[in-house]
Amino acid sequence: MKEIEQKMNLFKDNTVVNWHEHVWFDENGKLDIAHCERLVEAAHRTYTDTLVCSLPIMGGHPTHEDVVKCNDTLYEAMKRYPGIMKGMAFINPGYIRESLDEIDRCVNELGMIGVKLYNHYYISDPIVRDLIEKCIELDIPILEHAGKLNFMPESQPFISDGTHFAKVAKEYPEATIIHAHIGGGGDWQWCLKAIADCPNIYTDTSGSVCDEGLIEQVVDAMGAERILFGTDGSYSPGVGKMLGANIPEDDKIEILNNKKFERYLERGL
Amino acid sequence: MIIDVNTYIGSWAFRRIKHNDAAGLSKFLKEAGIDKAVVSCVNSILYKDTQEGNLQLMEEIMGYEDYFIPFAIINPRYPGWKKDFIYCIEILGMKGLELYPYYHDYNLTDDFAVELIDLAADMKVPVHLPCAVENLRQRHWLDTTENLSIDAVERVLAICKTADFIITNGPTDVYANRLKSVSASRSGRVYYDFARVDVFNPGFESLVEAAGVDNVVFGSVAPFQYVDTQLVKLHYAKLDDDDKEKIGHKNLENLLGL
Repeated sequence: MKEIEQKMNLFKDNTVVNWHEHVWFDENGKLDIAHCERLVEAAHRTYTDTLVCSLPIMGGHPTHEDVVKCNDTLYEAMKRYPGIMKGMAFINPGYIRESLDEIDRCVNELGMIGVKLYNHYYISDPIVRDLIEKCIELDIPILEHAGKLNFMPESQPFISDGTHFAKVAKEYPEATIIHAHIGGGGDWQWCLKAIADCPNIYTDTSGSVCDEGLIEQVVDAMGAERILFGTDGSYSPGVGKMLGANIPEDDKIEILNNKKFERYLERGL
Repeated sequence: MIIDVNTYIGSWAFRRIKHNDAAGLSKFLKEAGIDKAVVSCVNSILYKDTQEGNLQLMEEIMGYEDYFIPFAIINPRYPGWKKDFIYCIEILGMKGLELYPYYHDYNLTDDFAVELIDLAADMKVPVHLPCAVENLRQRHWLDTTENLSIDAVERVLAICKTADFIITNGPTDVYANRLKSVSASRSGRVYYDFARVDVFNPGFESLVEAAGVDNVVFGSVAPFQYVDTQLVKLHYAKLDDDDKEKIGHKNLENLLGL
């Protein structure tokens, strides 16, 4: 175990920004404080400086009121954990006009630093265009839930895979879009092949999949400068795959605190 | 000291696996801090005749006998399974049985499977039940769409009361809680790894509480997965050093008589 302690100097000695985490509702529809406490404790124990969180609704078709409640609850968490927790606004692109107003509210009033989209529409769906343009205008990143599901694809019929990201990357080369959790389940090699040559598509390392060679292949295909550290509910696997990856230390340091994304962190709450 | 209960040599049909021969795997594991490892031949999962993989494994680990602890993968639906299994244990000196009902198309409670598990118990070797090889969501379109069935495991525990089982690479916190009751009514032990359980989530504490710290072992799924993901969990587990020693190696040493 001493070896892990030594390896954790990578985290201890460098700035660590976790770009993919969540807060959740409890069974009463309030902020799940117990979950937040566990998350922040995990961050402290692993020398994580910043947790970028969102609160998405993963199923069905959330109404605008649902979306507002998610973001208000996230804001409560951001205020509860100042200095460590940053927020990304959850948006359902189906409510176009309300979505644009909600992005304004979340960024300008609540101090959030990006937009989180889930699986309600492909990111390449024309309905998302106004929203992408809004994010370009505000210079904020979009984090979109992603994966190529070879098993039970009907469970998430509109989940975006790498090909959807590649399409939108060509339409909006000035947008900054994060393909969520390359290790989040699904055929990550498919997605990696699709986004490798799209310079404005980034990915994060989160997810419970810890395939040996995952981080190495992503770095090889995209370069460390297009990769962000993340955990998405799998904190120890997220840390472990960074320690285990056979890539240069400088690349690990770059992933743990991607320089291209530093400016977003300087904003907001 | 760490003993890994779940590693493989061999090739996987659906993705390139590195460090997958005895020399490469032992180097990979040693560099990660693993002192000994239970190993099986992943080829046996997809070969029609699993014994070809078992023989391949024993050839492969020749010269590495002090490091690797070989387990035999047997398909009890295939003719000759009993002869093969006895040969693996008595002649080849293999130390355990590993089963993949979701690849070999049978149920753990089928008569022939029960007969094999009872035979393993009689021969004093444990039965390893990996919940999966790769995560279901990322599998190749020609791969199985099944995982280990918790219902089948619960039933077979009630039938084969003297066999020792090791359940790995799945939601073992869920397994340990569900199987707690049936486990209490049998003389055989049930061990669990934590390869798919996050130490920072309640699942890990729930696993240790339900299984008991004497029944938790270390498994990495190397070389399919990063070993450090599991070492990090043991490092951050809120357990005292004695309990970490049990999980790291002592429980498996006791089970395998090492």
